[in-house]
Amino acid sequence: MNENSSKISQLIFRYLLVLLPTSIIGYVTLKFLNLSYTSLGTSVVTQAIYFSLGLLIAYTLYFFRARILVTVVLLWIVYWLFDTSIKKLPGEFDVFYATARFQLYSTLFIIGWIFGFLLQRYRWAYVLIFGIIFTVTLVSVSATVDVSLSYILIHLLPSLGYGLYMLFLTPLLKDNAIVTGKQAGRLAIRIAMFALIVVLALLATERLFRGELKAVETELIARGAKEKEKNQNNGGDKDGYDERHGLMEKKDDGLRLKDTMKVSTKMSQSDKLMFCSKLDNYFEDGTPAPLYFVFHYLTRYDSVKESFTRDVNVPSFDEIDIDPTSLPMYYSFTDTSIIRKSLASKYRKVVQAQVYLSENTWKHSVLGPSSVFALQTIPVEKDFQKTFLSAYRLYAYSSELNNAYFVYNISANPMLEPLQDERHNELRNVRNYKQVDKEFVEYYTDIPRGGIYDSIADLARSLVPMDARPVDKVLAVRDFFLRKNENGKRIFRYTLKAGAVDDPNIPSSKMLYDFLFKTHAGYCTYYAGASHFMLRALGIPTRFTTGFATINRSDKNKGWYWFYASQAHAWTQVYFPEYGWLDFDMTIGNEEQREAPKPDGTPPLPPPDPWLVLNARTLDVDSIRKSLNVSFTQFLFFDKPFELQQSQQKKIDASLCRVLYDKRDTTFNAIEAGDSVIIVSYNDEAKRVPQFRANTPIEQQVDQFPSPIVADEIHIYPKKKKEQDKKPGGGKPTVEEKKMTWEEIAWLAGGITGGLIVLIFLLPALYLAYRLLAILFAGKPSRKVDQVYRAALYRFHMAGIERGEETPLEYAQLKVDPKTNAGFEAFMRVYLRLKYANLPVRDGDMATVSTFSGRVGQSIRRMNGVLNTVFNYLNILRALRYFQQPEKNDHENPSL
Amino acid sequence: MNETITKLKALTDNIETIIRGKHQEIKYVVTALLARGHILIEDNPGAGKTVLAKTLAQSISETGLDYHTANGGVTFKRIQFTPDLLPMDLIGSYIFDEGKKDFVFKKGPLFTHVLLADEINRASPKVQSALLECMAENQISSGDHTFDLDQFFFTIATQNPIEMEGTYPLPAAQLDRFAMKISFGYVTEDVEFDIYTNYLTINKGKETVKQVLSYRDIIDLQQAAENVYVHPELVKAIVRIAQATRNHADIALGCSTRGGITFIKCLKAWALVNQRDYVIEDDIRAIAQPVLSHRLIFRSREASRTALSGIVNQEVSKLAKLGITQPQ
Repeated sequence: MNENSSKISQLIFRYLLVLLPTSIIGYVTLKFLNLSYTSLGTSVVTQAIYFSLGLLIAYTLYFFRARILVTVVLLWIVYWLFDTSIKKLPGEFDVFYATARFQLYSTLFIIGWIFGFLLQRYRWAYVLIFGIIFTVTLVSVSATVDVSLSYILIHLLPSLGYGLYMLFLTPLLKDNAIVTGKQAGRLAIRIAMFALIVVLALLATERLFRGELKAVETELIARGAKEKEKNQNNGGDKDGYDERHGLMEKKDDGLRLKDTMKVSTKMSQSDKLMFCSKLDNYFEDGTPAPLYFVFHYLTRYDSVKESFTRDVNVPSFDEIDIDPTSLPMYYSFTDTSIIRKSLASKYRKVVQAQVYLSENTWKHSVLGPSSVFALQTIPVEKDFQKTFLSAYRLYAYSSELNNAYFVYNISANPMLEPLQDERHNELRNVRNYKQVDKEFVEYYTDIPRGGIYDSIADLARSLVPMDARPVDKVLAVRDFFLRKNENGKRIFRYTLKAGAVDDPNIPSSKMLYDFLFKTHAGYCTYYAGASHFMLRALGIPTRFTTGFATINRSDKNKGWYWFYASQAHAWTQVYFPEYGWLDFDMTIGNEEQREAPKPDGTPPLPPPDPWLVLNARTLDVDSIRKSLNVSFTQFLFFDKPFELQQSQQKKIDASLCRVLYDKRDTTFNAIEAGDSVIIVSYNDEAKRVPQFRANTPIEQQVDQFPSPIVADEIHIYPKKKKEQDKKPGGGKPTVEEKKMTWEEIAWLAGGITGGLIVLIFLLPALYLAYRLLAILFAGKPSRKVDQVYRAALYRFHMAGIERGEETPLEYAQLKVDPKTNAGFEAFMRVYLRLKYANLPVRDGDMATVSTFSGRVGQSIRRMNGVLNTVFNYLNILRALRYFQQPEKNDHENPSL
Repeated sequence: MNETITKLKALTDNIETIIRGKHQEIKYVVTALLARGHILIEDNPGAGKTVLAKTLAQSISETGLDYHTANGGVTFKRIQFTPDLLPMDLIGSYIFDEGKKDFVFKKGPLFTHVLLADEINRASPKVQSALLECMAENQISSGDHTFDLDQFFFTIATQNPIEMEGTYPLPAAQLDRFAMKISFGYVTEDVEFDIYTNYLTINKGKETVKQVLSYRDIIDLQQAAENVYVHPELVKAIVRIAQATRNHADIALGCSTRGGITFIKCLKAWALVNQRDYVIEDDIRAIAQPVLSHRLIFRSREASRTALSGIVNQEVSKLAKLGITQPQ
């Protein structure tokens, strides 16, 4: 009876000491996991409760020595019963959802169970648990977005703390020893002291190493940035292999479309403004003609990874590969290879557009109508800088057959069908691809063989004869998606929750197969992906295109289009000889849900038209008169770039001028001599502006520039970090935190751990140094003798002569002197006299002390050898024993 | 100081000619002597305890001298305790003097300087208690008379282990009167060989033990022992030890205050025996067991071996960690 109740109190005691911290750490870990993997879709608290429940039950059962085999079988039966009953639930109940949730909870429960079992049965189980938790935290941290050193430290702290705590606790809690109330109190005090020490240590570390940590952090950030750049140079298709759902993914600098596209079950949408654009593309009557905005062409299907990927090494690659936000103001860039590779000749025209990127969008790629071949950065009007971070003007080759009214799927607006027929009739001129380069056709019609792919190809071939004209094949595929069943209802429909099959992780091709043959429901990626395969199977060069669907919502601001995150889109581009790549959007309109049209915003004011842009270097600055002298060789004169043979000097009047540093407004005083600046002067009537004369040599024209030149804008290049310039400026003056890779985190964690270990092993030596210094700085003779005594005790201990129960005098007599011949006993006699006799220091005493002090090291070295003497100071265990109290017997004196 | 050391050395050397390989025990006995205490030697018969006591007594006493003689010699008496011994055998008794026609007090063997009480635990409690008064108060009461003893009164008692037959265990109060209780144990192999080969010489020596110290010397030495310096930290440590014995879970009866005082006295004497005029931490370790152990009542045999040494070791190690502090 009594024994039973004491056992229960033992159990409760252990709940508090072991299970509570473990549950808390489980909760924290789950929280971190949920931050990075939101797909679990349940609340963290519930998860933690299931975990703790498993832990608790297992711990209790095994505390009362339950049989492992029996309990595991019971657990399995319960699990199986639940599983089957959930699957057999009747009615409208969402079985899939319930099953997924059940799986999650039961997994957590079983993990908790295993932990509980391990904690109960094995004293050292916490090492394993700590390892698991630490790894999981590390993984979840590395999978989260912006990672900085402090972020990692904060996230790893709980698990480290837990590990230390258990390391500390376990030796105190002997296997199944009965813990009495008194012992429990003492244990509590010890734990409290431990916590205090940990907190103090943390505070001290933070205080001592704040500077270093910061430095390391910036260093790492810089390294991360460099690596990022490297990735960018490699073609950009390596970074961010994130296969989470949806078209968009969160990147370090906002939302962006994925570089690779995988068909998956869910798609997330948001209505954030991504960018807006003024597109100078109109029909003959002046009506705006929208064009789809392309982000990437995904030309290859990777059957191993089951995803559409970018492939830079393709025949006639016509994607401009530059980061517009990294370019200096008014810098223009032309990719002549795109002009050369452009395959279209009919209906081709050059379209100009201005694109204003909002803070939500990404910065590493050009957004624009297909075949952008040139772009120039332009400033954003001051009032709009909050909304739009950067802007550029672009020039693109576009086909007149490519406007969005031709491209839209007619399901959304059947009125478009006659209009589109015009285009199709025109395209019927193309009979086949015999004239086209073979390699090109082979590349763009390549699909994997076998299984699912074959059945998709067979489906495509059953729709239309192989000798039909290309455009008819395209139409056949389009019409396939528009088919209706016997009730007059469409077979295919649009849904964002596609797939709802039992497993969210089945590969893309299987999903496409299910989409085509079973569910008939999906979103744009499904339609584009399916048509991609079907058209390629029909021998038509096709590519998967990601970007934004352009919607002309109002004619208030003609030519202005607003792009929201929900407009992210995927469609198909089909190649027609002489006509080039043409867009075809197969996606069925969303019948279930008509989204309320989002409002167009106020378009930013057009940037003023400069007559002169100088890429200059300041020579001297007169901050009183606000004028400066500059030298330059490169400049834009009425948008035409020129480069002088010899650099020219001009005086600039900056009295009315805006000064910008890294795209932010600053004052004139920020300009220093030697800065690289871009000086812009607007073409307005208030100024005397020289006209461009085609026949005069440019040098002469420059000579005739007015002096001083009245500047309207001066952009200062950020002077430090030149490389940083080319990187996404983003307009943020603060240092951006970069995502750290796994390796970096591992290195960092390894470095910190290694450093700590080295520090720990150096501690005995550091203590020795402290002891020796204490001798050196001891003032009074008696203090000096004292310090010599302490140092000698420590040094002999570390030399391997450990003092046990003996008093120091006995130790000197019996252990030290026989081995080392250091004269310790003689010293001890002097020391003890000074300590206890209340007599003044005698004449010979200090001589004895200093002789001995000198002989300690010598004698130890003679005994152990120099190398061993040094190595002995790495023996951390021995050092620990030195600081330990001599072994006490069990019956400790409670008053002490 | 030097003179004191020479005298002590002469005394111990003299004893060591007869008792071989018992250096430590001899020092204990001398310590008890200098601390004005009494010593109880417990061991199996034949370990040499009686010889030691006798040798010591002979070293400092003059044979054939009577008590209270003018020249201040030291007298030595020996009593063999037996169960049928009566108190009057110790104290003495009134005897009718034919000449004076009066009862005169015939002094018993207790009137002496050095008393060897052999096998003290074989006597009945009544006899044991008779010893009590003279050990504690240096006086003897008989009838309506109280006789004062000399200031130098030193008892060496021996006893057989109490498990042996025919013994009356000493009561706690009686034990407390002894400054020290030591046990002899057997000598090492080499010493035993030496004893066996030279037993004839040793026996002859027994008869002719020289007197090396006079009565005056003993009084001086006892005075010197009282003047030995004890550092306040050491006194604190002794206080802590005494307190600890009273609070210890395995000790039923802790050290009394008288025990503590005796401990300090013995420490001083021990320091002097070790040729120092100050006490050090090692002294506490060396002397705690013989001085304190017999005053404590332990709850178990196991504890009697470990409890006290645990307390003492802890205190001594604390002292060893202490820095040099000069008392004001």
